[in-house]
Amino acid sequence: MINDFNYLKPGTLKEALAMYAEHEDCKVICGGQSLLIVMRQGMIAPEYLLDIKHVRELDYIKFDAKDGLRIGATTTHRAIEKSDVIKKNYPVMVSMENKLASIQVRNWGTIGGNLAHADSAGDPGPVLIALKANIKIGNATGERTVALEDFFVNYFETVMDHELVLEIHVPVPEPKSGAAYQKFNLLESDMGIVAASAAVTLDGSGKCKDVRVVLGNAGSTPIRVKRIEELLIGKAYDENLFAEAGSMASVDCEPVADIHGSEEHRRHILGVLTKRMLKQAWEEAKG
Amino acid sequence: MNKYTVINPHSKFTVLNTHVHNIDGVAKVTGRAEYTFDIKLPGMLYGKILRSPHPHAKILNIDYSRAMEIPGVYGVVTGKDTLGIKQGIWRRYKDLCDEQILPVDKVRYIGEPVAAVAAITEEIAEKALDYIDVEYEVLQGVYEPLDAIKKDAPEIHEGFERNINVTRHIEWGEVEEAFDEAEYVREDWFKCGGQAHMCMETRAAVSSYTPEGKMTIYSSNQSAYYMQALMAGVLGMREGDIRILAQYVGGGFGGKFELDGAIFCSAILSMKLFRPVKIVYTREEDFIATKRRTPMFYYVRTGVKKDGTFCAREAKVFTNGGAYTGMGATALYLTGFFHSFPYRWKGYRYDGYRVYTNTLPSTSMRGFGAPQAMWCSEQQIEWIAADLGLDPIEMRRKNSHYEGYEVPGQATIASCGIDQCYDEIKQWIASKGTLPANRSIGISACGFMSGGIFNWFDTPYSFSSAVVTINQDGTVELHVGAQEIGQGSNTTMAIICAEALGVKVGDIKVHSGDTDHCPADLGAWGSRQTLMTGNAVKMAAESAKKQLLEFAYAQSGLNIVYDLDIKDGWVHAIARPERGEDFVKLAKKAIRGKDGQRIIGRGYYTPHRKGMISPAYSYMLQGVEVEVDEETGKIKLCDSLTAHDCGQPINHLGLIGQLEGAFSMAAGYGYLEYMPYEDGKLMNPNLVDYKMIRATEMPPANIAEIDTYEPEGPYGAKEAGEGLTNPTAAAIGNALFHRFGIQMKECPVRPEMILNALKEKKEAQGK
Amino acid sequence: MEKRLLTLNVNGQDYELYINPKTLLVEAIRDHIGLTGTKRGCDTVSCGACTVMIDGMAVKSCSVLAMQAEGYRITTVEGLEVNGKLAPIQKAFIDNGSYQCGFCAPGMIMSAQALLNENKNPTEWEIKEGIEGNICRCTGYNSIVRAIDGAAKGKYTEAKS
Repeated sequence: MINDFNYLKPGTLKEALAMYAEHEDCKVICGGQSLLIVMRQGMIAPEYLLDIKHVRELDYIKFDAKDGLRIGATTTHRAIEKSDVIKKNYPVMVSMENKLASIQVRNWGTIGGNLAHADSAGDPGPVLIALKANIKIGNATGERTVALEDFFVNYFETVMDHELVLEIHVPVPEPKSGAAYQKFNLLESDMGIVAASAAVTLDGSGKCKDVRVVLGNAGSTPIRVKRIEELLIGKAYDENLFAEAGSMASVDCEPVADIHGSEEHRRHILGVLTKRMLKQAWEEAKG
Repeated sequence: MNKYTVINPHSKFTVLNTHVHNIDGVAKVTGRAEYTFDIKLPGMLYGKILRSPHPHAKILNIDYSRAMEIPGVYGVVTGKDTLGIKQGIWRRYKDLCDEQILPVDKVRYIGEPVAAVAAITEEIAEKALDYIDVEYEVLQGVYEPLDAIKKDAPEIHEGFERNINVTRHIEWGEVEEAFDEAEYVREDWFKCGGQAHMCMETRAAVSSYTPEGKMTIYSSNQSAYYMQALMAGVLGMREGDIRILAQYVGGGFGGKFELDGAIFCSAILSMKLFRPVKIVYTREEDFIATKRRTPMFYYVRTGVKKDGTFCAREAKVFTNGGAYTGMGATALYLTGFFHSFPYRWKGYRYDGYRVYTNTLPSTSMRGFGAPQAMWCSEQQIEWIAADLGLDPIEMRRKNSHYEGYEVPGQATIASCGIDQCYDEIKQWIASKGTLPANRSIGISACGFMSGGIFNWFDTPYSFSSAVVTINQDGTVELHVGAQEIGQGSNTTMAIICAEALGVKVGDIKVHSGDTDHCPADLGAWGSRQTLMTGNAVKMAAESAKKQLLEFAYAQSGLNIVYDLDIKDGWVHAIARPERGEDFVKLAKKAIRGKDGQRIIGRGYYTPHRKGMISPAYSYMLQGVEVEVDEETGKIKLCDSLTAHDCGQPINHLGLIGQLEGAFSMAAGYGYLEYMPYEDGKLMNPNLVDYKMIRATEMPPANIAEIDTYEPEGPYGAKEAGEGLTNPTAAAIGNALFHRFGIQMKECPVRPEMILNALKEKKEAQGK
Repeated sequence: MEKRLLTLNVNGQDYELYINPKTLLVEAIRDHIGLTGTKRGCDTVSCGACTVMIDGMAVKSCSVLAMQAEGYRITTVEGLEVNGKLAPIQKAFIDNGSYQCGFCAPGMIMSAQALLNENKNPTEWEIKEGIEGNICRCTGYNSIVRAIDGAAKGKYTEAKS
C-alpha cells in the first residue's frame, strides 16, 4: 500500500523548484512508472510528493548542429522514440527506447525520471554515457551540469542533493561515428539481465579515434570499461580485438547473480554483447 | 500469419465447426462482464489474510486484540473460528483430506493463511495485519521430495511415514520379460519444474452470510458445484443453503476448482460478522499461496528392439507434493498413465510417489501431469531413435495406438487419428526445406483424456447434467452446470444445443455458474466438459426436440414411414423438406398442447465402464521450429504446427483459441516459466521476474485438424485444449537436441543451462 | 494528508471527485467513478489489464496518479462503443475470438485502439509491439493480432452487429 502524502502540483518550473526547496522530505514524481512501484512496496514513503508532470517547460527535444541534442527532463520515452531528429542523428537512442518496457510505459514515463531512478538495469544510462551525454540538474539556488558517467553513484543513488533533473545534453557526434546497444533478456520488453552499449568514432584512415563501451546491470552503476578504450584507440577493424574487448568487459565489472543467471553467465554474456556491439558500432561508423 | 486446415469438415452439420462467435463476446469486449473481482455488495467489508512467514511451524497463540482496536476493523478470524475440518477434493479418501485452509495447530508452507481480518476498506484491513500477533514454534522444514523421504526428515502430516502422501502403481504385461526381449535399453533421470497458473483474475471471493442461515458466494472458480459441496462440508451447512455464483471467471487452468483462502476466509468472516466480505488476492499472494503445477523427478528406463519396436518401459517418479494433497493424487496417476502415450508397450510399469514437503502445495494444472510425462518420454524416445539411427517419426508411428487398441487393463481407444498426424508433420517439415543454420525443428507426440471416470469427489449426482427449455417464442433456455472460464464452454454447449434442436445459437440463452439455478456438474477441469456436458446437452436437446416432434407428427398427420427433423428453425419431413412449419409457430402450439407448460428436455451423462481413466482420448503430434543464439543460449520460437485429433470439432474459434493459448502456456513451461524456491520461499512472486510469453514471443501456432469420430462424444467430439499443453516443452527440447546434440534433462530450459550443456559436450568431445 | 478535489474527464464526461491524492487512476475509475471494465492484474506495471487511453495514448492506469490525469481526455473500454454500436476493434475481437476469459480484454482493446489511432497500417511486428505490454494467459495473442490487423484493414467498419 502506498503511504499517505501531501500532493504538490506546480504549474511552472520556478514554482516546482520553490516547492521542492520548501520541503525536505519530498520526492519528485513525473511519469511514476518506477516510483509508484517502490512506493507501493512501502520502500519509499515521503511526506510530500512533487508532481512535475505538467511542467511543460521541461518537455522538449531540441537539436542544433553545433550544440547537439537537448532533451527536457519531462520528455516521455515515446517522444524520444518517435523523434525524427533523434532518429537521424542518434539512431541508437531510438532503437534503445523502442525496446524499453512497453508502449504504455513509454507513453507516460520520462527520460528524466528514468535517469533519476538510477536503476542499474536501466536502458538509457549506458547508451547516453557511451554518447558522452551530460545531465543538467538544479534546484532553487542554482543549476549544474555533470557528465552522465559521474551522475550515478550507487544502486538507485545519484549525485543529486535535493535537486531535480532538468535536461540531458548529448553532444553532436563526430563524423564517422556509430553507436549500438543491446540488452540480453528472455522477453523482448524486459530490462536487461545484462546490457552493453558501444560508441565508436573513426579517423580519416578508418582507425579508431575514439571508443566507449558502457555496461548495463553489470554493477551498481553503468560501467565504462576504460581498458577497452586503451585497447582499441589507434587500431584498425579487427574482430579478434572485439573479442578481446569482450573478455575485458567480462572481467571489468561486478555483476550480481540472481535467479536469471549466475555471475559467470552474466560475465560471459557481457563479453558476447560487447564484442557484438563494438562490431555493430564500428560498421555504422564506417558508413 | 497463421494458416489453418480443417481436414474434411463435416458439411452435414449446420452449426458445428462453423465460425460461431463466442456468445459472451459483447459483455467481454465492452467491459460489461462482471467478474468476482468487480462485485460490490451493500455493506460489504474487505478482507485480508495474514500468512505464515515460516515453512513449518506450530501455531502457539494468535492475539488479535490490537488489530480489533483499529477504527474500521470489524473482525478477525483464525482456525479457532472454524470447525477445524480437514477438507480435500478427494472426498472419498479421508486420509487425503488434509487441509484446513485456516489451520488450527500448524502451518506447513510459507504463505499459508493463519488469520483473516475484515475492515471497512482494503487499506485498513491490510494495515491491521501488522497488528495481529502470532506466536510460532518454528519447526525444521524440508523442501525437496528426495530429502523429505529420508528417515530423519521432519514429519509434515501425522501418520504419513517418510512424508509419502500418495503412491500410484500402473502395470501391464510381463515387464522384466519385455525388457529381456529388448535389444537396446536406455535409462535417464529428468527434473520437471513447477508452473504458476497465472490467471489474469487472481483468486477472489465475496461471501455473504445472512441471519436466516444462508450463504451466497461470488467466487472466481472452475466448478460452482464443487465450491458449493466443499463449502457445505467445511461450514457444516447444507449444500442447498449455499449459493455459488460464477458468471464470469478470469481464467482457471486447473487452479480454481479447489477451495482456496479467498473463498474460505471470506465465508468464515461473513459468518462471524453477518456482513458481505470480499477477498481478492494480490498478484504476489496469487504466486505464493495458490497451488502450482507439480514438480516431478522422473526416472525412465526404456527397452526397444534395434528396429525400433517398443518393448518395455519402467518409470519411477517422485513428485513434490508440497504441503497438502490438493488434486495431486490425480496428477500422480495421470502422469504415469500418459507417460505411456501414445504408444503400445508390451510391458509397462509406473510407480509414482507423491511426497509432502514444506512448500506451496502442488495440484492440477492444464495438462495434469502429462506435460511432465511428455518432457521425459518424448525426449528419451528421440534420443533412442538417434542412438539407433532410426527415423524418429517412423519409429513413433509403428508403435502408436490405433482405433480399437486396448491399453491393457486401462482403456479402450475408440478413436485415434495419430497416424495421420505423423503424415501432416512430415509434410510440414519437408515443406520447410533447409532451415537457416541457427534453427532446428523438434517434435513431440501425445494423447490426452476427455474427462475422468473416477468419482473421487464422491458425488451422488450425474457427472454432468443439462436442461433445455423451449419458450413460446422459440427462444431456448439452456441450463448447464458446466463452468465457463474462458474456454468457451457456454458457446460450445449452445452450439451443441443449436445443432441438436435445429435452431440458431442466437436463439439460445445459456445459464451457468449459479448453483441456485443450474444443475450440478463436476465443472471445468480434466478436459471433460465438451464430452460430458456436451453429451448431457445433446441428450436434453434431443429430448426437447422429441417432445416437439411428437406434437408435430400428431399435427401433421404424416405417414408413419416419414421422419421429421428440425434445421434452421424449420420443422420438416426429411424426405420432403418443403413440407414443414416454422419452429416458433410450432413451439407455441405445442406448449398449448401441454397445458401451457414449456417444453423441457433433460439430459445427463456419467461415464460407465470406460476403463480406468477416461471415456475418450485426443491425439496430436506437434512440431516446433526453434532458433537458438549459440553464444548466449537465448531461445526464440519461430513456427509450429500441431496435427490434432479431437474427433469432431464443435467450436471452431474456440478450438483455434485453445490451441494457441495452450501453446503459449506449454512453451512457457518449456523455456520460460521458472519458479525457483529457496528453503520453501518462492524467489520470483511477481510478473517482472516470473517470465511468460507475450505477443512478441509468440510464434505462429498452425493447426491441422485430423478427421476422426469418437463414438462416446457428442457428434464424435473429444477434448481440445488441455491435451495441447502437453507436447511443446518436449518439442523444444528435441529441437535443441537436433541442433546441438545436447540432452536437456531439466525444464524449463534456460540460456545458462544450454550454454553449460554445450560446454560440457565440447569438453567431453575433447577427451 | 490533505484530500483533494479533482475533475476527471472520462469517456467525454466530467466527474468531480474528492480523493486522497495517492489514489491511482485505476482506482479512481473503478472505485470512485464506478466503471469496472478496466481491470487490475498485478502490482508491478507488468500485466496491462489496467490500460486506458489518455489523449488517445495507451497508458497503464495503475501507474498514474489520478491527480496527474486531470486535464486530459481519458478513455476506458466503456467509452469505445457509440450509442450501442461497437467500435471496429471490438467487432474485430469478437469476430476473431480474440479473448477467452476476457479479463485482459478491456486493457488489450485499449492498447489495440491506441495503436490504431497512431498507426493506420501497422505491420504484424508493430501490432505485436503495440500489445507487448498486455499479458493474455488464454489466447496466445495470435487471434488478437489477427483482429487488430483486420480492423486496420477496414474489415469492421460496417455497422452490422
